Amino acid sequence: MPQTLKRRAPGRFRPSGRVIARLTTTPLIVGLGVFAIYPFIYLLGLAFTESNLIEPFQKWVGTENFQDALGDPRFVGSLGRSVLLAFLSTATAMVLGVAVALLLDKAVKARDLIRTLILLPLLTPPVTAAIMWQLLLMPQGGWLNGFLMDLSLISEPVSFLGTPTTAFLSVLLVDVWQWSPFVALMSFAALQTLPSEVYEAAKLEVRSSWTVFRWITLPMLFPALIGIAVLKLVIGFKLFDLVFVLTAGGPGQATTISSFYIYRIGIQQFDIGLAAAMTLLFAIVVGLATVPFTVAHDKAEDRLS
Amino acid sequence: MNRRLYVPLMTLVLLFFTFPIIFMAMVSLKGQADISTGDIFPNVLYWRNYPDAFGSIALDRYLLNSAIVASFGALLTLVIAVPATHAIVRYRIGRNWLPAFILGTYVAPPIVALFPLFFLLRNLGLVNTHLGMILVYGVMNLPVAFWLLSSFVRRLPVELEEAARVDGVGYFRTLRSIVIPLLMPGIASTGIICLILAYNEFLFASFLARSQDTQTVPIGLSLFQGDRQLRFGQMAVASLAAMVPVYVLAVFFQRWLVRGLTTGIGK
Repeated sequence: MPQTLKRRAPGRFRPSGRVIARLTTTPLIVGLGVFAIYPFIYLLGLAFTESNLIEPFQKWVGTENFQDALGDPRFVGSLGRSVLLAFLSTATAMVLGVAVALLLDKAVKARDLIRTLILLPLLTPPVTAAIMWQLLLMPQGGWLNGFLMDLSLISEPVSFLGTPTTAFLSVLLVDVWQWSPFVALMSFAALQTLPSEVYEAAKLEVRSSWTVFRWITLPMLFPALIGIAVLKLVIGFKLFDLVFVLTAGGPGQATTISSFYIYRIGIQQFDIGLAAAMTLLFAIVVGLATVPFTVAHDKAEDRLS
Repeated sequence: MNRRLYVPLMTLVLLFFTFPIIFMAMVSLKGQADISTGDIFPNVLYWRNYPDAFGSIALDRYLLNSAIVASFGALLTLVIAVPATHAIVRYRIGRNWLPAFILGTYVAPPIVALFPLFFLLRNLGLVNTHLGMILVYGVMNLPVAFWLLSSFVRRLPVELEEAARVDGVGYFRTLRSIVIPLLMPGIASTGIICLILAYNEFLFASFLARSQDTQTVPIGLSLFQGDRQLRFGQMAVASLAAMVPVYVLAVFFQRWLVRGLTTGIGK
Protein backbone atom coordinates (compact mmCIF):
# COMPACT_ATOMS: atom_id res chain seq x y z
CA MET A 1 0.00 0.00 0.00
CA PRO A 2 2.40 2.68 -1.18
CA GLN A 3 -0.29 5.35 -1.22
CA THR A 4 -1.25 4.86 2.38
CA LEU A 5 2.39 4.89 3.24
CA LYS A 6 2.98 8.22 1.59
CA ARG A 7 -0.09 9.81 3.09
CA ARG A 8 0.41 8.63 6.66
CA ALA A 9 4.15 8.39 7.12
CA PRO A 10 6.09 9.41 9.08
CA GLY A 11 3.32 8.99 11.60
CA ARG A 12 3.71 12.27 13.28
CA PHE A 13 0.13 13.27 12.59
CA ARG A 14 -1.58 10.31 14.13
CA PRO A 15 -1.32 9.30 17.74
CA SER A 16 1.17 6.56 18.29
CA GLY A 17 -0.01 3.00 18.89
CA ARG A 18 0.69 3.20 22.61
CA VAL A 19 -1.63 6.16 23.11
CA ILE A 20 -4.52 4.50 21.29
CA ALA A 21 -3.78 1.23 23.05
CA ARG A 22 -4.03 3.01 26.37
CA LEU A 23 -7.32 4.58 25.31
CA THR A 24 -8.84 1.21 24.40
CA THR A 25 -8.23 -0.06 27.92
CA THR A 26 -10.26 2.82 29.38
CA PRO A 27 -13.71 1.16 29.13
CA LEU A 28 -12.34 -1.93 30.88
CA ILE A 29 -10.79 0.08 33.69
CA VAL A 30 -13.88 2.24 34.12
CA GLY A 31 -16.14 -0.83 34.01
CA LEU A 32 -14.17 -2.69 36.65
CA GLY A 33 -13.85 0.49 38.69
CA VAL A 34 -17.64 0.71 38.83
CA PHE A 35 -17.97 -3.00 39.53
CA ALA A 36 -15.15 -3.43 42.05
CA ILE A 37 -13.83 -0.13 43.44
CA TYR A 38 -16.96 1.99 43.70
CA PRO A 39 -18.83 -0.77 45.65
CA PHE A 40 -16.17 -0.82 48.37
CA ILE A 41 -16.27 2.96 48.77
CA TYR A 42 -20.06 2.94 48.76
CA LEU A 43 -20.16 0.06 51.27
CA LEU A 44 -17.89 2.03 53.59
CA GLY A 45 -20.36 4.90 53.43
CA LEU A 46 -23.28 2.57 54.09
CA ALA A 47 -21.52 0.72 56.90
CA PHE A 48 -20.94 3.87 58.97
CA THR A 49 -24.50 5.15 58.56
CA GLU A 50 -28.04 4.07 59.18
CA SER A 51 -29.30 3.00 55.78
CA ASN A 52 -32.14 1.08 54.20
CA LEU A 53 -33.02 0.21 50.63
CA ILE A 54 -35.28 3.22 50.22
CA GLU A 55 -32.97 5.79 51.74
CA PRO A 56 -29.25 5.24 52.21
CA PHE A 57 -27.01 7.39 54.45
CA GLN A 58 -29.68 8.56 56.92
CA LYS A 59 -27.38 9.39 59.80
CA TRP A 60 -23.82 8.73 60.91
CA VAL A 61 -23.61 5.90 63.43
CA GLY A 62 -19.86 5.37 63.71
CA THR A 63 -18.81 1.78 64.19
CA GLU A 64 -22.16 0.66 65.54
CA ASN A 65 -22.92 -1.53 62.50
CA PHE A 66 -19.57 -3.27 62.79
CA GLN A 67 -20.13 -3.89 66.51
CA ASP A 68 -23.59 -5.27 65.78
CA ALA A 69 -22.20 -7.52 63.05
CA LEU A 70 -19.43 -8.94 65.21
CA GLY A 71 -21.85 -9.26 68.14
CA ASP A 72 -24.23 -11.37 66.05
CA PRO A 73 -23.29 -15.02 66.62
CA ARG A 74 -25.27 -16.03 63.53
CA PHE A 75 -23.12 -13.81 61.34
CA VAL A 76 -19.87 -14.96 62.90
CA GLY A 77 -21.06 -18.54 62.49
CA SER A 78 -21.86 -17.89 58.82
CA LEU A 79 -18.29 -16.67 58.27
CA GLY A 80 -16.97 -19.94 59.66
CA ARG A 81 -19.31 -21.94 57.45
CA SER A 82 -18.32 -19.95 54.34
CA VAL A 83 -14.64 -20.65 54.99
CA LEU A 84 -15.25 -24.30 55.86
CA LEU A 85 -17.41 -24.91 52.80
CA ALA A 86 -15.01 -23.13 50.42
CA PHE A 87 -12.00 -25.13 51.65
CA LEU A 88 -13.81 -28.46 51.91
CA SER A 89 -15.29 -28.16 48.44
CA THR A 90 -11.95 -27.08 46.98
CA ALA A 91 -10.14 -30.02 48.56
CA THR A 92 -12.81 -32.54 47.54
CA ALA A 93 -13.19 -31.18 44.02
CA MET A 94 -9.39 -31.21 43.57
CA VAL A 95 -9.04 -34.86 44.59
CA LEU A 96 -12.02 -36.00 42.55
CA GLY A 97 -11.16 -33.75 39.61
CA VAL A 98 -7.54 -34.91 39.36
CA ALA A 99 -8.67 -38.53 39.60
CA VAL A 100 -11.12 -37.95 36.75
CA ALA A 101 -8.39 -36.21 34.73
CA LEU A 102 -6.10 -39.22 35.12
CA LEU A 103 -8.96 -41.45 34.06
CA LEU A 104 -9.69 -39.20 31.08
CA ASP A 105 -6.04 -39.52 30.10
CA LYS A 106 -6.60 -43.25 29.68
CA ALA A 107 -9.64 -42.79 27.47
CA VAL A 108 -9.13 -44.07 23.96
CA LYS A 109 -12.67 -44.36 22.67
CA ALA A 110 -15.34 -41.65 22.65
CA ARG A 111 -13.11 -38.99 24.18
CA ASP A 112 -15.28 -36.14 22.89
CA LEU A 113 -18.48 -37.72 24.14
CA ILE A 114 -16.94 -38.35 27.56
CA ARG A 115 -15.66 -34.80 27.79
CA THR A 116 -19.06 -33.40 26.82
CA LEU A 117 -20.77 -35.50 29.49
CA ILE A 118 -18.28 -34.40 32.13
CA LEU A 119 -18.78 -30.79 31.08
CA LEU A 120 -22.54 -30.89 31.73
CA PRO A 121 -22.59 -30.35 35.54
CA LEU A 122 -20.30 -27.35 35.15
CA LEU A 123 -22.65 -25.75 32.65
CA THR A 124 -25.83 -26.51 34.58
CA PRO A 125 -27.33 -23.38 36.13
CA PRO A 126 -26.75 -23.75 39.90
CA VAL A 127 -30.46 -23.19 40.54
CA THR A 128 -31.23 -26.17 38.32
CA ALA A 129 -28.51 -28.27 39.92
CA ALA A 130 -30.12 -27.55 43.27
CA ILE A 131 -33.52 -28.70 41.98
CA MET A 132 -32.02 -31.91 40.53
CA TRP A 133 -30.39 -32.85 43.80
CA GLN A 134 -33.48 -31.91 45.74
CA LEU A 135 -35.32 -34.52 43.68
CA LEU A 136 -32.64 -37.10 44.50
CA LEU A 137 -32.40 -36.27 48.19
CA MET A 138 -36.00 -35.73 49.28
CA PRO A 139 -37.42 -38.17 51.83
CA GLN A 140 -40.57 -39.03 49.84
CA GLY A 141 -39.75 -40.24 46.35
CA GLY A 142 -36.12 -39.21 46.48
CA TRP A 143 -33.98 -41.78 44.72
CA LEU A 144 -31.20 -41.89 47.32
CA ASN A 145 -33.48 -42.88 50.18
CA GLY A 146 -34.99 -45.71 48.15
CA PHE A 147 -31.53 -46.88 47.10
CA LEU A 148 -30.15 -46.88 50.66
CA MET A 149 -33.25 -48.69 51.93
CA ASP A 150 -32.91 -51.34 49.22
CA LEU A 151 -29.36 -51.90 50.41
CA SER A 152 -30.72 -52.06 53.99
CA LEU A 153 -28.31 -49.32 55.03
CA ILE A 154 -31.19 -47.34 56.50
CA SER A 155 -34.54 -48.60 57.73
CA GLU A 156 -36.62 -45.48 57.18
CA PRO A 157 -36.30 -42.42 54.93
CA VAL A 158 -33.81 -39.80 56.07
CA SER A 159 -34.55 -36.11 55.54
CA PHE A 160 -31.09 -35.26 54.19
CA LEU A 161 -31.91 -31.61 53.67
CA GLY A 162 -33.77 -31.34 56.98
CA THR A 163 -30.94 -32.53 59.22
CA PRO A 164 -28.11 -30.06 59.97
CA THR A 165 -25.08 -32.27 59.25
CA THR A 166 -26.46 -33.97 56.15
CA ALA A 167 -27.82 -30.66 54.83
CA PHE A 168 -24.34 -29.13 55.03
CA LEU A 169 -22.83 -32.22 53.40
CA SER A 170 -25.51 -32.05 50.68
CA VAL A 171 -24.53 -28.48 49.79
CA LEU A 172 -20.92 -29.65 49.71
CA LEU A 173 -21.83 -32.63 47.53
CA VAL A 174 -23.73 -30.57 44.95
CA ASP A 175 -20.98 -27.96 44.80
CA VAL A 176 -18.41 -30.70 44.24
CA TRP A 177 -20.67 -32.23 41.59
CA GLN A 178 -20.70 -28.90 39.77
CA TRP A 179 -17.04 -27.97 40.11
CA SER A 180 -15.01 -31.16 39.96
CA PRO A 181 -15.60 -31.27 36.17
CA PHE A 182 -13.90 -27.87 36.02
CA VAL A 183 -10.93 -29.19 37.99
CA ALA A 184 -10.92 -32.33 35.85
CA LEU A 185 -10.79 -30.49 32.53
CA MET A 186 -8.15 -28.03 33.75
CA SER A 187 -5.96 -30.77 35.24
CA PHE A 188 -6.40 -32.84 32.10
CA ALA A 189 -5.15 -29.91 30.02
CA ALA A 190 -2.20 -29.50 32.39
CA LEU A 191 -1.49 -33.20 32.11
CA GLN A 192 -1.23 -32.86 28.31
CA THR A 193 1.53 -30.26 28.66
CA LEU A 194 3.84 -32.62 30.59
CA PRO A 195 6.73 -34.08 28.57
CA SER A 196 5.62 -37.60 27.70
CA GLU A 197 9.20 -38.94 27.40
CA VAL A 198 9.65 -38.65 31.15
CA TYR A 199 6.69 -40.91 31.81
CA GLU A 200 7.52 -43.45 29.19
CA ALA A 201 10.98 -43.78 30.68
CA ALA A 202 9.54 -43.98 34.20
CA LYS A 203 6.97 -46.58 33.22
CA LEU A 204 9.71 -48.84 31.90
CA GLU A 205 11.62 -48.57 35.16
CA VAL A 206 8.80 -48.60 37.69
CA ARG A 207 6.04 -51.17 37.77
CA SER A 208 3.54 -49.39 40.04
CA SER A 209 1.51 -46.66 38.39
CA TRP A 210 0.89 -45.12 41.83
CA THR A 211 4.64 -44.62 42.24
CA VAL A 212 4.84 -42.95 38.83
CA PHE A 213 1.94 -40.67 39.76
CA ARG A 214 3.25 -39.85 43.24
CA TRP A 215 6.89 -39.18 42.33
CA ILE A 216 6.73 -38.00 38.73
CA THR A 217 3.31 -36.80 37.56
CA LEU A 218 2.21 -35.07 40.75
CA PRO A 219 5.39 -33.02 41.30
CA MET A 220 5.38 -31.85 37.67
CA LEU A 221 1.68 -31.09 37.83
CA PHE A 222 1.88 -29.33 41.18
CA PRO A 223 2.26 -25.67 40.09
CA ALA A 224 -0.69 -25.99 37.72
CA LEU A 225 -2.75 -27.71 40.44
CA ILE A 226 -2.12 -24.89 42.90
CA GLY A 227 -3.36 -22.44 40.29
CA ILE A 228 -6.52 -24.47 39.73
CA ALA A 229 -7.09 -24.82 43.49
CA VAL A 230 -6.75 -21.06 44.06
CA LEU A 231 -9.29 -20.42 41.33
CA LYS A 232 -11.68 -22.99 42.78
CA LEU A 233 -11.26 -21.46 46.26
CA VAL A 234 -12.13 -18.00 44.95
CA ILE A 235 -15.16 -19.43 43.15
CA GLY A 236 -16.12 -21.28 46.33
CA PHE A 237 -16.57 -17.99 48.18
CA LYS A 238 -18.95 -16.79 45.46
CA LEU A 239 -21.46 -19.51 46.30
CA PHE A 240 -24.99 -18.26 46.80
CA ASP A 241 -27.73 -19.62 44.53
CA LEU A 242 -27.16 -23.25 45.42
CA VAL A 243 -27.82 -22.56 49.09
CA PHE A 244 -30.71 -20.25 48.26
CA VAL A 245 -32.63 -23.00 46.43
CA LEU A 246 -31.37 -26.24 47.99
CA THR A 247 -31.66 -25.45 51.70
CA ALA A 248 -32.47 -21.73 52.07
CA GLY A 249 -29.74 -21.66 54.68
CA GLY A 250 -31.44 -24.24 56.88
CA PRO A 251 -32.28 -26.23 58.78
CA GLY A 252 -31.71 -23.60 61.42
CA GLN A 253 -28.42 -21.97 60.46
CA ALA A 254 -26.77 -25.20 59.32
CA THR A 255 -26.11 -24.06 55.75
CA THR A 256 -26.29 -20.29 56.20
CA ILE A 257 -23.13 -19.01 54.57
CA SER A 258 -22.22 -15.32 54.81
CA SER A 259 -23.39 -14.20 51.37
CA PHE A 260 -26.80 -15.73 52.08
CA TYR A 261 -27.03 -14.27 55.58
CA ILE A 262 -26.06 -10.80 54.34
CA TYR A 263 -28.63 -11.04 51.56
CA ARG A 264 -31.31 -11.85 54.11
CA ILE A 265 -30.31 -9.01 56.43
CA GLY A 266 -30.53 -6.64 53.46
CA ILE A 267 -33.74 -7.96 51.93
CA GLN A 268 -35.76 -9.05 54.94
CA GLN A 269 -34.62 -6.66 57.63
CA PHE A 270 -33.91 -3.80 55.19
CA ASP A 271 -30.87 -2.97 57.32
CA ILE A 272 -28.46 -2.05 54.55
CA GLY A 273 -26.02 -0.37 56.92
CA LEU A 274 -25.61 -3.59 58.88
CA ALA A 275 -25.50 -5.65 55.66
CA ALA A 276 -22.75 -3.37 54.34
CA ALA A 277 -20.65 -3.74 57.49
CA MET A 278 -21.07 -7.52 57.28
CA THR A 279 -20.14 -7.52 53.59
CA LEU A 280 -16.90 -5.65 54.34
CA LEU A 281 -16.04 -8.09 57.13
CA PHE A 282 -16.83 -11.00 54.83
CA ALA A 283 -14.62 -9.48 52.10
CA ILE A 284 -11.76 -9.22 54.61
CA VAL A 285 -12.19 -12.88 55.54
CA VAL A 286 -12.24 -13.90 51.86
CA GLY A 287 -9.08 -11.85 51.29
CA LEU A 288 -7.31 -13.37 54.27
CA ALA A 289 -8.32 -16.85 53.18
CA THR A 290 -7.30 -16.55 49.53
CA VAL A 291 -4.34 -14.17 49.35
CA PRO A 292 -1.76 -16.51 50.98
CA PHE A 293 -2.59 -19.11 48.34
CA THR A 294 -2.32 -16.62 45.49
CA VAL A 295 1.11 -15.65 46.76
CA ALA A 296 2.10 -19.31 47.04
CA HIS A 297 0.95 -19.83 43.47
CA ASP A 298 2.99 -16.89 42.17
CA LYS A 299 6.06 -18.20 43.99
CA ALA A 300 5.56 -21.67 42.52
CA GLU A 301 5.30 -20.16 39.04
CA ASP A 302 8.39 -18.02 39.56
CA ARG A 303 10.38 -21.02 40.63
CA LEU A 304 9.47 -22.73 37.38
CA SER A 305 10.33 -19.92 35.02
CA MET B 1 -3.57 -47.85 36.31
CA ASN B 2 -4.93 -51.26 35.55
CA ARG B 3 -6.68 -51.29 32.17
CA ARG B 4 -9.39 -53.57 33.51
CA LEU B 5 -10.30 -50.97 36.12
CA TYR B 6 -10.76 -48.23 33.53
CA VAL B 7 -14.19 -49.19 32.23
CA PRO B 8 -15.96 -49.64 35.60
CA LEU B 9 -14.33 -46.51 37.04
CA MET B 10 -15.17 -44.36 34.04
CA THR B 11 -18.74 -45.68 34.08
CA LEU B 12 -19.01 -44.74 37.75
CA VAL B 13 -17.69 -41.24 37.09
CA LEU B 14 -20.02 -40.64 34.16
CA LEU B 15 -22.97 -41.97 36.19
CA PHE B 16 -22.16 -39.61 39.05
CA PHE B 17 -22.06 -36.63 36.71
CA THR B 18 -25.09 -37.50 34.60
CA PHE B 19 -27.45 -39.43 36.88
CA PRO B 20 -29.00 -36.33 38.51
CA ILE B 21 -29.77 -35.01 35.03
CA ILE B 22 -31.27 -38.31 33.89
CA PHE B 23 -33.31 -38.66 37.08
CA MET B 24 -34.77 -35.19 36.64
CA ALA B 25 -35.66 -35.95 33.03
CA MET B 26 -37.50 -39.04 34.31
CA VAL B 27 -39.31 -37.03 37.01
CA SER B 28 -40.54 -34.69 34.29
CA LEU B 29 -42.49 -37.65 32.86
CA LYS B 30 -44.03 -38.77 36.14
CA GLY B 31 -47.39 -38.04 37.70
CA GLN B 32 -47.54 -37.08 41.38
CA ALA B 33 -48.25 -40.66 42.53
CA ASP B 34 -45.40 -42.01 40.43
CA ILE B 35 -42.96 -39.48 41.86
CA SER B 36 -43.42 -40.65 45.43
CA THR B 37 -42.37 -44.21 44.53
CA GLY B 38 -38.76 -43.10 44.08
CA ASP B 39 -38.30 -45.42 41.08
CA ILE B 40 -35.95 -44.23 38.37
CA PHE B 41 -38.25 -44.85 35.42
CA PRO B 42 -41.87 -43.70 35.30
CA ASN B 43 -44.45 -46.49 35.54
CA VAL B 44 -46.89 -44.46 33.47
CA LEU B 45 -45.75 -41.75 31.10
CA TYR B 46 -47.31 -38.49 32.20
CA TRP B 47 -46.88 -35.84 29.53
CA ARG B 48 -49.18 -33.29 31.15
CA ASN B 49 -46.28 -31.80 33.12
CA TYR B 50 -45.01 -30.17 29.96
CA PRO B 51 -48.01 -27.99 29.05
CA ASP B 52 -48.72 -27.48 32.77
CA ALA B 53 -45.22 -26.13 33.48
CA PHE B 54 -45.39 -23.66 30.62
CA GLY B 55 -48.90 -22.73 31.76
CA SER B 56 -48.19 -22.20 35.44
CA ILE B 57 -45.13 -19.97 35.14
CA ALA B 58 -44.17 -17.61 32.30
CA LEU B 59 -41.37 -19.90 31.20
CA ASP B 60 -41.22 -18.62 27.64
CA ARG B 61 -40.95 -15.06 28.91
CA TYR B 62 -38.14 -16.00 31.31
CA LEU B 63 -36.28 -17.75 28.51
CA LEU B 64 -36.64 -14.70 26.29
CA ASN B 65 -35.37 -12.38 29.04
CA SER B 66 -32.43 -14.69 29.69
CA ALA B 67 -31.57 -14.84 26.01
CA ILE B 68 -31.63 -11.04 25.75
CA VAL B 69 -29.57 -10.17 28.83
CA ALA B 70 -27.10 -13.03 28.46
CA SER B 71 -26.32 -12.52 24.78
CA PHE B 72 -26.08 -8.73 24.90
CA GLY B 73 -24.17 -8.99 28.17
CA ALA B 74 -21.64 -11.36 26.58
CA LEU B 75 -21.44 -9.10 23.53
CA LEU B 76 -20.71 -6.08 25.72
CA THR B 77 -18.02 -8.05 27.55
CA LEU B 78 -16.33 -8.91 24.26
CA VAL B 79 -16.57 -5.38 22.85
CA ILE B 80 -14.80 -4.03 25.92
CA ALA B 81 -12.41 -6.92 26.58
CA VAL B 82 -11.06 -7.77 23.11
CA PRO B 83 -9.38 -4.42 22.27
CA ALA B 84 -8.35 -3.88 25.90
CA THR B 85 -6.79 -7.32 26.32
CA HIS B 86 -4.93 -6.96 23.05
CA ALA B 87 -3.60 -3.55 24.13
CA ILE B 88 -2.58 -4.79 27.58
CA VAL B 89 -0.76 -7.84 26.25
CA ARG B 90 0.87 -6.23 23.21
CA TYR B 91 1.71 -2.76 24.51
CA ARG B 92 2.15 -3.75 28.15
CA ILE B 93 -0.32 -1.03 29.14
CA GLY B 94 -0.44 -0.84 32.92
CA ARG B 95 2.73 -2.99 33.23
CA ASN B 96 2.04 -5.52 35.94
CA TRP B 97 -0.48 -3.63 38.03
CA LEU B 98 -3.31 -3.60 35.49
CA PRO B 99 -3.47 -7.37 34.92
CA ALA B 100 -3.16 -7.85 38.69
CA PHE B 101 -5.96 -5.34 39.29
CA ILE B 102 -8.25 -6.96 36.71
CA LEU B 103 -7.78 -10.45 38.12
CA GLY B 104 -7.88 -9.11 41.68
CA THR B 105 -11.39 -7.76 41.16
CA TYR B 106 -12.49 -11.33 40.46
CA VAL B 107 -11.63 -12.39 44.01
CA ALA B 108 -14.30 -10.20 45.62
CA PRO B 109 -17.53 -12.17 46.11
CA PRO B 110 -20.44 -10.73 44.09
CA ILE B 111 -22.39 -9.82 47.24
CA VAL B 112 -19.90 -6.92 47.58
CA ALA B 113 -21.25 -5.26 44.45
CA LEU B 114 -24.91 -6.11 45.04
CA PHE B 115 -26.24 -3.23 47.15
CA PRO B 116 -23.95 -0.49 45.71
CA LEU B 117 -24.91 -1.45 42.14
CA PHE B 118 -28.56 -1.52 43.13
CA PHE B 119 -28.40 2.09 44.34
CA LEU B 120 -26.39 3.16 41.29
CA LEU B 121 -28.82 1.55 38.84
CA ARG B 122 -31.79 2.95 40.74
CA ASN B 123 -30.40 6.47 40.45
CA LEU B 124 -30.01 5.89 36.71
CA GLY B 125 -33.55 4.49 36.47
CA LEU B 126 -32.19 1.12 35.30
CA VAL B 127 -33.50 -1.23 38.01
CA ASN B 128 -35.84 -3.79 36.48
CA THR B 129 -34.69 -3.09 32.93
CA HIS B 130 -32.90 -5.30 30.43
CA LEU B 131 -30.32 -2.56 29.89
CA GLY B 132 -29.40 -2.48 33.58
CA MET B 133 -28.83 -6.23 33.66
CA ILE B 134 -26.90 -6.19 30.39
CA LEU B 135 -24.57 -3.56 31.85
CA VAL B 136 -24.06 -5.59 35.03
CA TYR B 137 -23.40 -8.84 33.15
CA GLY B 138 -21.22 -7.11 30.59
CA VAL B 139 -18.94 -5.78 33.31
CA MET B 140 -19.21 -8.75 35.69
CA ASN B 141 -17.44 -11.12 33.30
CA LEU B 142 -14.63 -8.77 32.25
CA PRO B 143 -11.98 -10.41 34.48
CA VAL B 144 -12.89 -13.86 33.15
CA ALA B 145 -12.80 -12.59 29.56
CA PHE B 146 -9.45 -10.88 30.10
CA TRP B 147 -8.00 -14.03 31.64
CA LEU B 148 -9.21 -16.24 28.79
CA LEU B 149 -8.37 -13.84 25.96
CA SER B 150 -4.91 -12.87 27.16
CA SER B 151 -3.44 -16.31 26.59
CA PHE B 152 -4.99 -16.39 23.11
CA VAL B 153 -3.47 -12.97 22.31
CA ARG B 154 -0.09 -14.07 23.65
CA ARG B 155 -0.07 -16.94 21.17
CA LEU B 156 -0.74 -14.72 18.11
CA PRO B 157 2.34 -14.17 15.96
CA VAL B 158 3.40 -10.57 16.56
CA GLU B 159 5.11 -10.31 13.14
CA LEU B 160 1.89 -9.76 11.21
CA GLU B 161 0.95 -6.79 13.36
CA GLU B 162 4.45 -5.37 13.08
CA ALA B 163 4.39 -5.75 9.32
CA ALA B 164 1.06 -3.93 9.23
CA ARG B 165 2.48 -1.12 11.33
CA VAL B 166 5.51 -0.76 9.10
CA ASP B 167 3.14 -0.53 6.14
CA GLY B 168 1.37 2.32 7.88
CA VAL B 169 -1.89 0.48 8.51
CA GLY B 170 -3.82 2.27 11.25
CA TYR B 171 -4.34 0.91 14.76
CA PHE B 172 -8.00 0.02 14.45
CA ARG B 173 -7.65 -1.36 10.94
CA THR B 174 -4.91 -3.69 12.16
CA LEU B 175 -7.18 -4.71 15.02
CA ARG B 176 -10.14 -5.27 12.73
CA SER B 177 -8.53 -6.98 9.78
CA ILE B 178 -5.60 -8.82 11.35
CA VAL B 179 -5.97 -9.34 15.08
CA ILE B 180 -9.68 -10.08 15.38
CA PRO B 181 -9.84 -12.62 12.52
CA LEU B 182 -6.84 -14.49 13.94
CA LEU B 183 -8.29 -14.28 17.43
CA MET B 184 -11.70 -15.62 16.37
CA PRO B 185 -11.41 -19.05 18.07
CA GLY B 186 -10.47 -17.33 21.33
CA ILE B 187 -13.23 -14.75 20.97
CA ALA B 188 -15.78 -17.48 20.30
CA SER B 189 -14.68 -19.56 23.30
CA THR B 190 -14.70 -16.52 25.56
CA GLY B 191 -18.07 -15.39 24.22
CA ILE B 192 -19.71 -18.75 24.88
CA ILE B 193 -18.29 -18.97 28.40
CA CYS B 194 -19.42 -15.42 29.26
CA LEU B 195 -22.83 -16.16 27.73
CA ILE B 196 -23.27 -19.20 29.97
CA LEU B 197 -22.03 -17.38 33.07
CA ALA B 198 -24.54 -14.59 32.47
CA TYR B 199 -27.33 -17.05 31.64
CA ASN B 200 -26.78 -18.95 34.90
CA GLU B 201 -26.37 -15.89 37.11
CA PHE B 202 -28.77 -15.65 40.04
CA LEU B 203 -27.76 -13.15 42.73
CA PHE B 204 -27.90 -9.92 40.70
CA ALA B 205 -30.93 -11.07 38.74
CA SER B 206 -32.85 -11.79 41.93
CA PHE B 207 -32.27 -8.23 43.08
CA LEU B 208 -32.41 -6.24 39.86
CA ALA B 209 -35.23 -8.06 38.05
CA ARG B 210 -38.38 -7.15 39.92
CA SER B 211 -41.10 -8.30 37.50
CA GLN B 212 -41.86 -10.80 34.78
CA ASP B 213 -40.69 -8.33 32.15
CA THR B 214 -37.08 -8.81 33.19
CA GLN B 215 -36.89 -11.94 35.36
CA THR B 216 -34.55 -14.57 33.95
CA VAL B 217 -34.88 -18.36 33.97
CA PRO B 218 -33.02 -19.00 37.26
CA ILE B 219 -35.32 -16.51 39.02
CA GLY B 220 -38.39 -18.11 37.45
CA LEU B 221 -37.26 -21.52 38.67
CA SER B 222 -36.60 -20.27 42.19
CA LEU B 223 -40.22 -19.07 42.36
CA PHE B 224 -41.35 -22.72 42.47
CA GLN B 225 -39.72 -23.01 45.88
CA GLY B 226 -42.21 -20.60 47.41
CA ASP B 227 -45.16 -22.89 46.75
CA ARG B 228 -46.85 -24.75 49.60
CA GLN B 229 -47.27 -27.88 47.53
CA LEU B 230 -44.14 -28.46 45.47
CA ARG B 231 -45.04 -29.54 41.94
CA PHE B 232 -41.99 -31.67 41.27
CA GLY B 233 -43.02 -32.79 37.79
CA GLN B 234 -43.48 -29.24 36.58
CA MET B 235 -40.34 -28.14 38.36
CA ALA B 236 -38.41 -30.80 36.47
CA VAL B 237 -39.90 -29.68 33.15
CA ALA B 238 -39.03 -26.06 33.81
CA SER B 239 -35.50 -26.98 34.87
CA LEU B 240 -35.01 -29.03 31.72
CA ALA B 241 -36.23 -26.13 29.62
CA ALA B 242 -33.70 -23.93 31.41
CA MET B 243 -30.84 -26.35 30.77
CA VAL B 244 -31.54 -27.22 27.14
CA PRO B 245 -30.06 -24.02 25.65
CA VAL B 246 -26.83 -24.45 27.61
CA TYR B 247 -26.55 -28.15 26.84
CA VAL B 248 -27.10 -27.51 23.14
CA LEU B 249 -24.20 -25.03 23.25
CA ALA B 250 -22.13 -27.66 25.07
CA VAL B 251 -22.74 -30.33 22.46
CA PHE B 252 -22.03 -28.07 19.50
CA PHE B 253 -19.13 -26.13 20.94
CA GLN B 254 -17.58 -28.71 23.25
CA ARG B 255 -14.13 -28.30 21.74
CA TRP B 256 -14.24 -24.52 21.90
CA LEU B 257 -15.58 -24.54 25.42
CA VAL B 258 -12.87 -26.87 26.63
CA ARG B 259 -10.19 -24.97 24.72
CA GLY B 260 -11.43 -21.71 26.20
CA LEU B 261 -11.57 -23.03 29.74
CA THR B 262 -8.19 -24.68 29.64
CA THR B 263 -6.33 -22.07 27.66
CA GLY B 264 -4.59 -20.60 30.68
CA ILE B 265 -2.93 -23.94 31.36
CA GLY B 266 0.59 -24.39 30.10
CA LYS B 267 1.02 -21.02 28.42
